[in-house]
Amino acid sequence: MSSPVKITFFRSIGHARNLYSTAIAVGLFLAVSAALFVYNLACAEGTRVSLAVIWASSVAPIAPALAAFLAMDVWSDELKSGRIDLLLTSSVFERDFVFGKFYGVWLMTMVAVLLSFVSTVTVLGALAPGSLFGSSGPLAFLPAFIALLLQTMLWSSISTAMSALTAYAPAAFTFSALLTIALPRCGWLAIMMFSGKGRSWFGEMPLDADVMDIASGVLSTSSLAFYFAGTLAALFITSKAVMRVRCAGRGGRGRRAASVVASLLAIVAAALAVRLAWRYDVTLDLPVSNISTVFSQRTRGVLAESSGEITATLFLARNDSNFRRIGHLLRTMKREAASHGGARFELRFVDPRWDIGDAERLVRLGLEEKSVMLTRRGRKVTIAIGEEFGEQDLTSAIRRLTTPPQRRNVYWTYGHGEARFDDYGSFGMSDIARALSREGYQNSVIDLTAGAAVPADCALIAIAGAKNAFSRVELGRLDAYMKEGGRLLVFTGQNSEVGVGPLLPAWGVRMIVPSFKDAPTLSGSDVIASAFAEHPLTSPLKGSRIVLERPVAFASSAAVGESSATERLEFTPLATVGEIAVAASIERGAGAGSDVAIRPTRLVAIGDPGFPLNLSLSLKANANRDFILNAVAYLSGTESAGSSDSRADLLLTGFDRSGQLRHLVWSALVLPAVVFAVLFLIAMRRRHRS
Amino acid sequence: MVEVRNLAFSYCSRQVLRDVSFVVSPGETVAVLGANGAGKTTLLRVLAMLAVPDAGSVIMDGQNAFRRPMRYLRQLGYLPEMPALYEDMSVKEYLGYRAKLKGEPSKRVRRRVSEAAELCRLTDIMRRPISMLSTGLKKRVALADALLLRPRVLLLDDPLAGLDYQMRESAAEILSNAAAFSSVIVTGHEISDFAKWATRFLVIKDGVIASSVENQGTDPSVSGERLATVLEGGAR
Repeated sequence: MSSPVKITFFRSIGHARNLYSTAIAVGLFLAVSAALFVYNLACAEGTRVSLAVIWASSVAPIAPALAAFLAMDVWSDELKSGRIDLLLTSSVFERDFVFGKFYGVWLMTMVAVLLSFVSTVTVLGALAPGSLFGSSGPLAFLPAFIALLLQTMLWSSISTAMSALTAYAPAAFTFSALLTIALPRCGWLAIMMFSGKGRSWFGEMPLDADVMDIASGVLSTSSLAFYFAGTLAALFITSKAVMRVRCAGRGGRGRRAASVVASLLAIVAAALAVRLAWRYDVTLDLPVSNISTVFSQRTRGVLAESSGEITATLFLARNDSNFRRIGHLLRTMKREAASHGGARFELRFVDPRWDIGDAERLVRLGLEEKSVMLTRRGRKVTIAIGEEFGEQDLTSAIRRLTTPPQRRNVYWTYGHGEARFDDYGSFGMSDIARALSREGYQNSVIDLTAGAAVPADCALIAIAGAKNAFSRVELGRLDAYMKEGGRLLVFTGQNSEVGVGPLLPAWGVRMIVPSFKDAPTLSGSDVIASAFAEHPLTSPLKGSRIVLERPVAFASSAAVGESSATERLEFTPLATVGEIAVAASIERGAGAGSDVAIRPTRLVAIGDPGFPLNLSLSLKANANRDFILNAVAYLSGTESAGSSDSRADLLLTGFDRSGQLRHLVWSALVLPAVVFAVLFLIAMRRRHRS
Repeated sequence: MVEVRNLAFSYCSRQVLRDVSFVVSPGETVAVLGANGAGKTTLLRVLAMLAVPDAGSVIMDGQNAFRRPMRYLRQLGYLPEMPALYEDMSVKEYLGYRAKLKGEPSKRVRRRVSEAAELCRLTDIMRRPISMLSTGLKKRVALADALLLRPRVLLLDDPLAGLDYQMRESAAEILSNAAAFSSVIVTGHEISDFAKWATRFLVIKDGVIASSVENQGTDPSVSGERLATVLEGGAR
């Protein structure tokens, strides 16, 4: 900051500090934003919306009013009192005054925002400590701060410009409020009421949507361009408005006209810059704490590989509690795909209450309310929206749309105590079966005792925790299948005599009963593995963790010695706890110099028979499901892998009616009153000293 | 030296200044006199670069001030007709703020402020808030502001208006001291006061310099009477 800017900045701060009206404005701002926060929090209870997003969404609508109030007299007071003459006869450029006053207003607004954050954290920390930061820590609020920093920057600059255009502070406040609050919101309402096309284009008010996107860690270059170009244009206009004071008289007519033209050109240039940035939009993920990426590697991979044009239609009422979350998910996916050069997304929002014609058309297409329909080149995928609806559902749907239609069958063995994929109980596998169906696989049962050979459409055979031994015939069939480039997924316990245990050493895997010392655990009987090998199956899972119940360990068997240039055998410890491998893969097949067209044999062994069970997958914050999906993808040759989305924690404050009331009283009454009293005392002390 | 050449200024169709030319040498105090609405304040506003002339130029050190405004403003002290100060500040704070704003390095600000305060006899009220000062003292603070960096050109718009006799005497003394380092251009109606320390009088009528009178009188009351006659003649 250059010196005149700094001096003007400190003067603005000092002036505002001495005013009782500042204390009133900040107190009111805190009270209203806190009341909104309490309301929004109650609406979001039990959803996956983050606390930071709720806080930012509650503060953002009030911030323009505060900026307008704090800025209303920064210039108008100088103009009205005539002090502007003293300022302009100093050897200081107008822009230095403009920047100094703007920084002052912006900083004061941000200090109020910071007070709102402190108040939120203090009250919620005392009343519902468990809901406060989740697994992300206080840094999770950083993107929310960035969102508010950008918006308050724009509001402060516009309000400063309005103050420079009129000598009356109330008029400056009115104009600022009209421009920053009434115009965007009334414009939005007008679109909702009168433009069907507009309704289908916009999910929610773009400024609110932007706060939500940035607060959840997605920052696009078009957003940045909008805020910076808007701010610079507003400051330029302010500078020209101040300069016009110097241009009294006929001799200044030319300069006055030039300043008006320059101001209009600044608006046009800002609009063009935003348009250009929109055209070449790039999404930036804010690298904060463990929310370093908004989407999993799997989603990113799927989006990057997608092509063509995908139309996503959200058929949901705007007042539905899931609307904002899913709208945000679709918007960010659109940006993510664009920034990776993937498919072009077109988003459509159909609100059954408003868009009756469109809703009827969708119903005729077989779509039910509360669903998302993705269409691409005549193919469509429909997903029903439930509380669990999220990134994974959309990613699977996009993948089904963008990959050529093919029949891929996962054959599960039955009859040896294995879990069943059509069992919806805790010890069934309906959950993973549904996930595989979403990925485009078909789950079938294979009977190896029957005379028929393994079907040709078999992508892989899966053995989910057999408790009894396989017969010789079955083992022989499996061995033959494997020798022909077969793929086997085995969930096995510590007994090597049951299931396909006897077959594994021949394929390069030896089972060991391990001893875990000081291994990380959740319940004492389970083991958490977070070290993953560099392997197509596990590379995308870096940073995640899988949980296994009393797992068996795997080591390479003597068969490794058979590895040669032509007969390659690779043993990979996929997931390890210390030095112990609790999941392993074997790839056996053509080595270097061989015909690469020969399909290699693949085997993935996971040392926990209960790993794919519904009970195990329902545990939050683990990547078990993704591990299985990746294993199936690897074995079936798709090799598109995924990572866990364990960040989406449910927001649970546990507030009942009286809890909400207590929250409201503390955050919207008591703390704002304390802040008001402190600011009032500061102003009073200053005046008293005077 | 400040040279004003053929200055003309108008508001829309109303010509306020016409072909105004004069020179003010260093150490000289020029009092611009004239009836209300004659164009005195406008002349000073144009010279302070608060208004753009239709024609003409202001030359300082051989350079047109309108071409290099920042350089010119750095050497300018301006006291408006009705100075507005920051009422929430004390005198010391205000003068310090103004000195810093005018580009004075931080380490020299205190010295500059105390010099100006001494010159304008404000040392006793430095800690007093501006809101508590009388009009005369406020004017003196504004004068101290104009004199802060010892400007080479001092423009004073009606500095004696609204002051009682004592205040006027004291202001006169301040201004005659200021003339030691500045070329002073002052406007007003207090002819007898100006006669005590102005070196020259410019009488302005309908935007034109009607006459220029050197102040050679040793007796201020005689000079005052003579000037009043000139002014009446100019106004006629």
